[in-house]
Amino acid sequence: MEESRLEVSEEAETPRDVMDYSVEVRGLWKVFGPRSNEVMDGDLRRASKDEILEKAGCVLALRDISFQVERGEFFVLMGLSGSGKSTLIRCLLRLIEPTVGKVFINGEDICSYNKARLMHLRRHTVSMVFQHFGLLPHCTVIDNVAYGLKIRGMPKKERYERAQEAIETVGLKGWEHYLPNSLSGGMQQRVGLARALATDPQILLMDEPFSGLDPLIRRQMQDELVELQDRLRKTVIFVTHDLYEALKLGCRIAIMRDGEIIQLGTPEEIITDPADDYVREFVQDASPAKVLTAGKIMEEPELLLYEWQGPKAAHHMLRSSKQDHAFVVSKSRQLVGIVTRERIRETIERGASSLRDAMDEEPPTCTPDMLVEELFPIASSTPYPIAVLDENGRFLGVIHNRTILDSMIQDREEKTDV
Amino acid sequence: MYEFPEALSVPLSDWVDAVMSWLLTNWGTLFDAVGKALLQMLLYVERFFLLLPWPLVVAGVGLAAWRTLGKWWSGAVMAGLLMVIGSFGYWKLAMMTLAIVTSAVVISLAIGIPMGIVMARSDFVESTIRPVLDAMQTMPSFVYLIPALMFFGLGKVPAVFATIIYAMPPVIRLTNVGIRQVPSSVVEAAEAFGSSSWQLLFNVQLPLARPSIMVGINQTTMMALSMVVIASMIGARGLGLEVLLAINRIEVGRGFEAGLSIVFLAIIIDRITHALAARQQKTLGGGS
Ligand SMILES: Nc1ncnc2c1ncn2[C@@H]1O[C@H](COP(=O)(O)OP(=O)(O)O)[C@@H](O)[C@H]1O
Ligand SMILES: [Mg+2]
Repeated sequence: MEESRLEVSEEAETPRDVMDYSVEVRGLWKVFGPRSNEVMDGDLRRASKDEILEKAGCVLALRDISFQVERGEFFVLMGLSGSGKSTLIRCLLRLIEPTVGKVFINGEDICSYNKARLMHLRRHTVSMVFQHFGLLPHCTVIDNVAYGLKIRGMPKKERYERAQEAIETVGLKGWEHYLPNSLSGGMQQRVGLARALATDPQILLMDEPFSGLDPLIRRQMQDELVELQDRLRKTVIFVTHDLYEALKLGCRIAIMRDGEIIQLGTPEEIITDPADDYVREFVQDASPAKVLTAGKIMEEPELLLYEWQGPKAAHHMLRSSKQDHAFVVSKSRQLVGIVTRERIRETIERGASSLRDAMDEEPPTCTPDMLVEELFPIASSTPYPIAVLDENGRFLGVIHNRTILDSMIQDREEKTDV
Repeated sequence: MYEFPEALSVPLSDWVDAVMSWLLTNWGTLFDAVGKALLQMLLYVERFFLLLPWPLVVAGVGLAAWRTLGKWWSGAVMAGLLMVIGSFGYWKLAMMTLAIVTSAVVISLAIGIPMGIVMARSDFVESTIRPVLDAMQTMPSFVYLIPALMFFGLGKVPAVFATIIYAMPPVIRLTNVGIRQVPSSVVEAAEAFGSSSWQLLFNVQLPLARPSIMVGINQTTMMALSMVVIASMIGARGLGLEVLLAINRIEVGRGFEAGLSIVFLAIIIDRITHALAARQQKTLGGGS
């Protein structure tokens, strides 16, 4: 009797949707210090960080953290130094043991893992890139990259082949036999990234990987990471103290302060509705949003469809130009609507012959003289890019969500770099 | 008031004697076995060194010094020093000394390096061994002869035993320090990729601690060599005994020659092992 009840309750505790997340954290606490249990048991649970330090002599690093990360998502942890980001990301691999709370990876509670399973997780499922690289100074680049494979027991030939691939992915071809210390910081971090990619993990943890690099290299590495992520579709959890970096890279951003997540949302949400003075300050400070106009940042569309094109042709064009959606215009370049690849496919399967059947006829639009600031609410309310139209409804160009952020970030970086 | 009261005397010597006799009665067979094994090993090593043709040794030392010190004339100097020892008529004694030193060093390392590793991996072990090492370092080397004598009587075995005990602390200490100095970022990264404890040791900690361990080996070797004269008091043959005899008979010239031979051996061994250690340091660069 007892047993069967227990089983039922276990199942109830692990709802099916847990499996859908790549990473889920539930009620995670970390208190550094010998008397951490007292803090968790007593009234100090609700006390402030300073109070806990004073009364129990413990450092509260994480307080009741919960969040979920989808498969393939780029999730950013952002916060000032000391806010607990490194502690949190290390708890995901149990490099630091959580005091209380659960970490699920692919639906499994890794806190209940024994040594062997934890080792398996670290070797196969998750890898990490570190701020201070953590490369083996006595090993060449290729041996560093192959390290994760070596400790799995992979034979030398095979692991060198795979390391070589990873080295080429990060653009370090030709440097295989150098020692890390003879490489620049940016290149050392490429080695770190290659080492993490070589084991082909599902999840990539990155703790301020670009913080030590100079701004130019940093921006370049960010761009390459975005491209890489597009291609490899790993789940990435990325730590940074730099809000611009967070906005540029993140699908979603969790902003941390004093060991708590104070806001979690998409970059747009965070800019339009900041929960914290630190964020608000940045948004207010973000003068580009008040100056830049839509006309300035719009781009030529990668692909423009005409209303008379058939769904099959449209689908083919979308596929060959690797686009998920495209605007549809009339002969005089009047905007007619927007189609997505998925809907076209459904339309084709239904046997419809007109593109109109697959079209969303009210795509988001703006005029070229609108301020970037005014674009935020539009961008956050739609999954599509925004079409820029002149007063006669003629199609001028397109603005992607990312372009909005990039425009602000780049302007900002140029200012701060000088 | 000039006489310390009898009542306050502590019979420590009686206690120590009691412990020793208990050890000898209960563990005597163990000491015998250890002593026999040690003696066998010593005899083999000694025979090996005595079988080496002298030109081969001179050439080998010269070549090793040249390769490690990087200059051909360093090799020539080291080979020359060895020739001088031979010219004093001490070749055979020098080889016997080398045999004792080599055996003692090999055993010291075989015990000391693992101890250093254990010490580096456990704060508790470190805090218990460290005071012992500190105490050993401050004790005069003569003291080590006493337990050696008690366990093994007179002869080569106690001499080597005392030398081992005396020479072991530096390599333990420097193995420990070397491993503890490995940057935590590197260790963390290795752990994050799923290294087992052994993999961490052999792929990360030992290679990065190697320069420090090499310094430890150098110091241990030098201490073993410095123990040679003292160990000869309880029966080690070789250059040390020669010095001892010369001192007893007040034969200054003979003592001088034998002493100089020991110094030369020390210089040769020190320079070569020191250069090896330094070279390790250089290839690792600044760490990070
Ligand atoms: N090993 C530790 N022992 C005690 N306190 C620690 C330890 N590691 C981190 N902390 C404390 O935990 C808090 C969060 O640190 P950390 O996670 O490194 O922040 P971040 O990475 O955001 O800069 C800080 O107050 C820090 O001092
Ligand atoms: Mg940090």
